Amino acid sequence: MRDLTRKLFNPIGSEAIEREVEEELRFHLELLTEQHLQHADTLVEARASALRRFGNVEQVKDQCVEISKRKRPFTRALKSLLILTFLAGVFLCIFGTELHVFRVGQMLITVAVMGRLFLYVRGLKPAGFRPKSDTSSPLMLNSTAKTPASLFEADNL
Amino acid sequence: MANDRTDLMQGTLELLILKTLSHDSMHGYGIAQRIHQSVDDLLKIEDGSLYPALYRMEERGWIASEWGVSENNRRAKFYKLTRAGRKHLDAERANWDRISRAVTKILQTA
Repeated sequence: MRDLTRKLFNPIGSEAIEREVEEELRFHLELLTEQHLQHADTLVEARASALRRFGNVEQVKDQCVEISKRKRPFTRALKSLLILTFLAGVFLCIFGTELHVFRVGQMLITVAVMGRLFLYVRGLKPAGFRPKSDTSSPLMLNSTAKTPASLFEADNL
Repeated sequence: MANDRTDLMQGTLELLILKTLSHDSMHGYGIAQRIHQSVDDLLKIEDGSLYPALYRMEERGWIASEWGVSENNRRAKFYKLTRAGRKHLDAERANWDRISRAVTKILQTA
């Protein structure tokens, strides 16, 4: 029953997106661990160093999943449909001369607003309310580094 | 802690990624490695922070991704620059040059 409810409210492959993001991040972490293993004494040490360099894995995953969901064609199409429904409702309310046409317009507006609200609430994640870690400032100047200005030149990248 | 860290301008990470992808398509780990090698220890970058940036850039159409096989025969997601991305890179690079010239000029005269 729980699976069925999940499928009904989640028909557009959220799990597939999560799996894909996890696979991508896992690939990165594995290579990073292998890299750190060359200097670390144990696998545990290498893993810890890899995680330190990677940052907050869960937060990164949440952000990626959220962005992926946003860019899905289905979500985009649904949002466009809701906008059209809303506009159609407004049109009927303004130009509808009969009461039942006006009511249909009101119904369309209600459906569009409720649909948009549903998409918004569905997109909210507890992770979004957690205090942000250092990952929110991903790029920082390292003031302890000594450095030749040539490193800033474009050809070095 | 705040003293030895200075947040850089928004969009800097995107600029570094675009420049890194301008030569070749790469997976996230490859991009991170290339950036680390290029900036030496001048910038501190958490590898994980690349991914939300990559996803956002893909959403904006600056890069495209596809799954492929990595150099060590593992399934990996590769990113490449799109035409829009190349255009954005040129624009951002020109912008960066202008800003850095302006700031340098002010610092020299003040």
